[in-house]
Amino acid sequence: MKYKISVDTGGTFTDVVVQNELGQVFIGKSLTTPDRIFEGMLGALSAAADEMRIPVGELLTESGLLIYGTTRSTNAIIQGKTAKTAFITTAGFPDILVTREGGKFGTHDFSFDFPKPYIPRRYTYEIDERVSSEGEIVTPLNEAQARSVARQLVSEGFEAAAICLLWSIANPANEKRMGEILAEEAPGIAFSLSHVLVPIIREYRRASTTAIDASIKPLMQGHLREMQADLRAAGFRGNIFVSTSAGGCTHVDEIVEKPVHTVKSGPAMAPVAGRAFSDMEALGGDVIVCDTGGTTFDVGLVREGKLKYSRETWLGGQWMGHLTAMPSVDVRSVGAGGGSIAWLDDGGLLRVGPISAGSVPGPVCYGRGGDKPTVTDAAVVLGYIDPAYFLGGRMKLDIAAARAAIGELSARLEMSVEQAAEAIMKIANEHMINAIQDITVAEGFNPAEAVLVAGGGAGGLNIVPIARELGVKTVLVPRTAGALSASGMQFSDIVFEESANRVTTSDRFDRDRVNEALQDIDARLTQAASGLALASEAPSSREYTVEARYFTQVWELDAPLATSMFTSQGDVDDLVESFHRAHERVFAVRDETGKVECLNWRGRLTIGLGTKSIAPDGERPQASAIAATRPSFFDNDSVDVPIYKGTSLAVNSKIQGPAIIEEPTTTIVIYPGSTAWLTPSHNYLISL
Amino acid sequence: MNSNTSKSEPDTIDPMLLSVMSNRVDGIVREMTSTLLRASRSAVIASARDMSCAIVTGDNELLASAESLPVHIFGSHLQTISMQQLHPDLAEGDAFLHNDPYMGNTHPADHTILIPVFFDGEHMFTVCSKAHQADTGNATPTTYAPYAKDVYEEGGLIFPCVRVQRNFTMVEDIVRMCRRRIRVPDQWYGDFLAAIGSCRVGERRLIEFCKKYGKDKVKTFIKQWLDYSERRATQAIKQLPRATIKHTGAHDPIPGLPQGIPINCTIDIDPDEGQIVIDLRDNIDCVPNGFNVCEACSINNSIAGVMNCLDPDIPRSGGIFRRVKVLLRDGGVIGRTTFPFSASIATTNVGDRLVNLTQSAMAQLGDGYGLAEGGVGMGAGWAVVSGKDFRHNGEPYINQIFVGGNGGPASPTSDGWLTYGIPVAAGLIYRDSIELLEVKHPLHMKSMRIQPGTSAPGKFRGAPGAELIYGPKKDTMTVAIPCDGQEFPPKGVNGGHDSPGARTFKVNLDGSEERLPGVTQIDLVPGEWLRGIDNSGGGYGHPFDRDPDRVLYDVAEKWETIERARDIYGVDVREDKSSQLGFAIDYPATTARRAALMGHAHD
Repeated sequence: MKYKISVDTGGTFTDVVVQNELGQVFIGKSLTTPDRIFEGMLGALSAAADEMRIPVGELLTESGLLIYGTTRSTNAIIQGKTAKTAFITTAGFPDILVTREGGKFGTHDFSFDFPKPYIPRRYTYEIDERVSSEGEIVTPLNEAQARSVARQLVSEGFEAAAICLLWSIANPANEKRMGEILAEEAPGIAFSLSHVLVPIIREYRRASTTAIDASIKPLMQGHLREMQADLRAAGFRGNIFVSTSAGGCTHVDEIVEKPVHTVKSGPAMAPVAGRAFSDMEALGGDVIVCDTGGTTFDVGLVREGKLKYSRETWLGGQWMGHLTAMPSVDVRSVGAGGGSIAWLDDGGLLRVGPISAGSVPGPVCYGRGGDKPTVTDAAVVLGYIDPAYFLGGRMKLDIAAARAAIGELSARLEMSVEQAAEAIMKIANEHMINAIQDITVAEGFNPAEAVLVAGGGAGGLNIVPIARELGVKTVLVPRTAGALSASGMQFSDIVFEESANRVTTSDRFDRDRVNEALQDIDARLTQAASGLALASEAPSSREYTVEARYFTQVWELDAPLATSMFTSQGDVDDLVESFHRAHERVFAVRDETGKVECLNWRGRLTIGLGTKSIAPDGERPQASAIAATRPSFFDNDSVDVPIYKGTSLAVNSKIQGPAIIEEPTTTIVIYPGSTAWLTPSHNYLISL
Repeated sequence: MNSNTSKSEPDTIDPMLLSVMSNRVDGIVREMTSTLLRASRSAVIASARDMSCAIVTGDNELLASAESLPVHIFGSHLQTISMQQLHPDLAEGDAFLHNDPYMGNTHPADHTILIPVFFDGEHMFTVCSKAHQADTGNATPTTYAPYAKDVYEEGGLIFPCVRVQRNFTMVEDIVRMCRRRIRVPDQWYGDFLAAIGSCRVGERRLIEFCKKYGKDKVKTFIKQWLDYSERRATQAIKQLPRATIKHTGAHDPIPGLPQGIPINCTIDIDPDEGQIVIDLRDNIDCVPNGFNVCEACSINNSIAGVMNCLDPDIPRSGGIFRRVKVLLRDGGVIGRTTFPFSASIATTNVGDRLVNLTQSAMAQLGDGYGLAEGGVGMGAGWAVVSGKDFRHNGEPYINQIFVGGNGGPASPTSDGWLTYGIPVAAGLIYRDSIELLEVKHPLHMKSMRIQPGTSAPGKFRGAPGAELIYGPKKDTMTVAIPCDGQEFPPKGVNGGHDSPGARTFKVNLDGSEERLPGVTQIDLVPGEWLRGIDNSGGGYGHPFDRDPDRVLYDVAEKWETIERARDIYGVDVREDKSSQLGFAIDYPATTARRAALMGHAHD
C-alpha cells in the first residue's frame, strides 16, 4: 500500500494530507459538506491527487490507512443538535448535572442567567438504589422501577440514555444491572455507563462525560458507518482509523462504543504535529505548540517528548459550558484570533477581544459588512498581510476600509493609524502570551527552554514578538502550518487508554489490589489491540500513571510509574518520589513527611504506526528570489520590506528581518532582528 | 513617520503598555490562586475555593485581585499597613502570618500569608494569600464561634502579623505552636505550605516583572493603573441619579438579641463628583458574641454590594476606594471591632447581610438599578462537621462542607445564580462533590435536590435553595451550623417577592422531625439525619411582568408548579404533549388572568 491519508473535517474546510511512499506530503482542501461528509472529503482527496498527478481512484485503492478526524461531535454538542437523551441517576440526586461544581466568572456581574444543564431536568429519572463510598450496596436496585423507567423512555421517544449512579466506581453492580434492564426493555436506545466510560470519583464529571457520550452515540454511529460505507464504495480497501482527543487514533468500533473520544480531537492533533516537527528538526522534546485561528488561539505543550494531558475539557467555556473528563491532550483556548475586535473602554483604555467578528461579518477588510476594527485589519494596515494574496489570492481585502476603522480609534487615542494598529497587535499578543504562560510557567515549565511551533492561518503574523516576550530562543513554522491538525494525524499513533479506581495510601500500600488493577488494565489493553492486524507489525509500548495527592489534599496530580507490578517496598518508594517531584514542579513545595494517596490508575498502550518524518516537497531554486517589496511598520517606523514566496526560497537560505514570507495558507512576518532559515525539510526555523 | 508623533511623555506609559502590564499582574494573581487552590489539603480551600490572592503596592494600595472573593480582598491593604508598622526591619525572605481582625484581617479563621517583594532593595509590592482554615484551634471544633462572648472564649490562636519565615527559612517555633493547638495539624500544615508556595510564586513573577520593565516604569504603571481604575469608577458613578438612600436590614434573632441584629446604612450618591459615600456609623455597639463585623469586612462587604450594581468591568483595585468611601466608627457592630469583642463570624452572617443591604439599597434608585437580596445563611450544607473516622483507625476529622445551595438574587436583567452560596461568595466558590464528601468524611448523603416552587418570584426570580439530608455512618458526628435567613428571609425588591426562608430539622431515630434554631450545634448518632432547606434569592420586579415564556420554561423544567404559575405569575400553563417542552401557554387566559389579578391588586 503506497499512501497514507489523513482527513480533518472542520466546520468550514475539509483538509486532506497524503503521504506517499517517498515520505512526501501533499495537501488538499475543499469545503466541508455537512449533509454527506464524504463529498467534501472526496473533493479534498481529488485536490491532493491532482497535486500528486494521479487519479483520485488510484489514490483511494492504493492507500493502506486513512485517519479520520472530525468536529462533527463537538459541533453537535455546541449547537445542541444531539439525540434526545435521558439522564438516569440515583434517587435523591436528580440535580447533579444542574448544580455542577460551582464557580463563576465576573465577580460583580449579575447580568446573565445560570447555564442550562446538558440534559434537561425534565429528562432526568431517579432510580431507587444506593452504593456507599465503601462499595456496600446500601439500597439494592429497584428492578420494577428500573423496568418501568426503561419502558417510559421508549414511549417518550428517547434515543439515548446516560446512566450514572453514585459510587458505581466503588461497586458497579447496580449500574450494570440498570444497563442490562435498559438493553432488554429498550433495545433501540443507545446508552452509556459511567463506570465503564470514565471510572473517576466526582459524580458531576463522570455524569457530564457520560451524558455527552450517550447524546452523540446515535449521531456518531450513523455518521461513521456511513463514512465507512462511502469509502468502501469508492474503492478504499485499507484500514480506517479515527483520531481522538488523547492525541492518537483508534479503530471505528472503539469510537462507536465511546464517541466522546472524538470531542475536541481536532485541536489535540496540533501538539502531536508540533512534537513531530520538532523531532524532525532535532530541536528537542520540550515544545510549545500554538495554533491561531480566526476566533481562537489554542496552545498545547509537549514536555520531554510527552504530550500534556488534562481531565478537564470544557465545551462552551469553563463553568458556563459542559465538561468531559476523558484524559485529553491539554489544549487551552483563548478568544484571541484574527477576528478579535479592538475597542476603547470608558476609562480610555484600548482593549482587544473577547468579542470576535468571527467569519461573518468578519474583519472590516473582508468587506462583508464588518465595521469594527480587528487584529486582521491591524495586520493589513501594518503591511503584514498582502490584501491581494490573502488565502493564496482567493480573497481580496479592502485596506482603505481597515484604515478607516482603525483611524476612528486612533483619533480618540491621539495616535497615528499605524501606532494604533501596532497597539492592537501588541494587546492581542498579550492575551496569547498569558495563555501560553498559563500552561507553562504556571506548571513549572520554563518557555525559554522550549521550542515554539506555530501553526494556523494567522499564526505567523505575531509569533516572533510573542516568542521574544516569553524568552523563547527558537520558533519553528512547519511547511504545513496551515493544516497543522491534519498533518498531526499523519504522525499520530494508535492509542488505547484504560483505567481503574483503587484508593490506597503510601503508608498502607495495598500492593495486591493495585497489582490486580494494573493487571486488569493490561488485559483490557491487550484485548483492545487484539483485533488489529496492523498492531502486530508495529512497535508498541505501555505507560502507566497514577492520579495521586498528598493525603487529605483534594486535587490529584499525575505521577508516572516506573513499573506495572509492585513487588517491593522499593517500588512504592519510587512511586512516592515520583509524586513528590511532580508536586514540587507544579506547586513549588514538597511535603517529605506527607503520605501519598493514590486514586486512579491508568495504562496507555501506544502502537507506533505514526509517520516519523516527512520528506521535502520537490525541488527548490539555488538562490532565493524576492517577489516584491511592500511598506510595513515595525516599532512605528515604515520600512520597505522584501516579500518572499515560500517556493522561491533556496534551501538553507537565511532571511534577515524585516521580511515577510508568504505561503499559500499562512504568512510569516520576520520582525527586525530575527532571522528565518529554510531547513532541508522545507520548514522555517526562526531565531530571535 | 517617526516616533516623535507619540504624545507619550517620559513619565507616562502609553495605554497599550498599561494594558499589557495590567494583564501581566492579573496573570500573576491567577497563578498564585491556582497554586493555593490545587496544593491545599482541606476541602474548605481546595474544593470550595474559600481563598483569595492579591497584590498590594509597596505604599499599600490594592493593585490586582483577579477572581478573588470580594470579602477577602478589598481590605488587603489594611493588613499590609500593619505589616509595615509592626516590622520596620522588613526584608527579602520574610513571610508573615496574619489573622488578626483588629488589625485588618477578615476573621481569625482566615489565615493570611504576606510576603514583601523587594527589587533593588526597595519594597515594591506585598503579595497576599488568604485562605479559610479547616480549624484554627478554637475552643469548640468549628471555625465559626457565634456565641463566644469575646476573643478569649473564642479561643483560637490570633497572629497579629507574626513572622513565620526569615531569610526564606521557616520560624519553626510558630509552626510548633500551631501544630500543638490546631486540630488535624497535618491538614493545617499542608494548607500553610500551600499559601507560602503561592506567595513565593507571586514574588518570583513580580521580580521578573520588575527586571523586565525596570523600576521606574513599574512605578509609573502602578500610578497610572490606579488612576485608570479610579477613572472607570468615576465614569460608572456619573451615570447614576443623585440620591441619598437610607436602608435597613437585620440578622435573624439569636439568644440575647430577640429582635435580631439590626443594621443600617446611608448611601450618598454624588454623580457630579463621581463619588459614593457609604455611612455605616449609625449602627448599634459591638455585641457580646462572634457576630461583630470588623473593619476589613465592613469595608469589603459594603463596597461589594455597591460594586455588584455598577459596571462589572471596573478593575477591582485601589482606585475604587478613592471613589467609594466607607464611614465607620469605633466599637460598632459594623465598624472597627473593639478588642476583645469577637469577630469570629465577621465574614458571613451579618457580613452577608451587609452585602445585601447595600445592593438592595441601590434598587431604590428604580427599575434597572440595584439587586435583590441574595440567599443568606450557612445552613446544613455549610456545616462544620467533626468526629472520629472509623475508616482511618478513629483518627479525628474536622472540616467545613460546601454542598449548600442558597440561590442568588434576581437582577434587573437576569434570574438568580443557582450556585450562589452566600452573598460574600457570590457564586465564585466551588461545590463539594457528594462522592468526595463521603470519602473524606464518614457521613452519608441521603438526598440533595431542588424542590419545585421554592424560588422567590419576580419579573426576574431569585434562584431556589436546595434541600439536603445527611447523617453519620457509624459514629457520632458533631455538626455546627451558623445559619441565618430563617426568621428574616432575603427580600425581593421593586415588587419582587421574598425568599420562603431557610429551615433546619433534626430527623430522629423514629422518623419524627424537630425544627432546630438557625445557629446550632448538635451531635447526631447513626440513624439520625439533618435536613436543611436553603434560601432562595429575592425576586426583582413584579411577577406579572415576567416574560410568560420564562414561566413556561420554569414549569416544564420543574422549577415552578402550574399552580404558582397561575396564582403568582398570572400565566396559564397547560400540559401539551405535542410541544417540545411538554407544556404550552394559554395566551388569552393569561392576558385575562393578569388583567384581573392586577385589577384586584389595585383594589
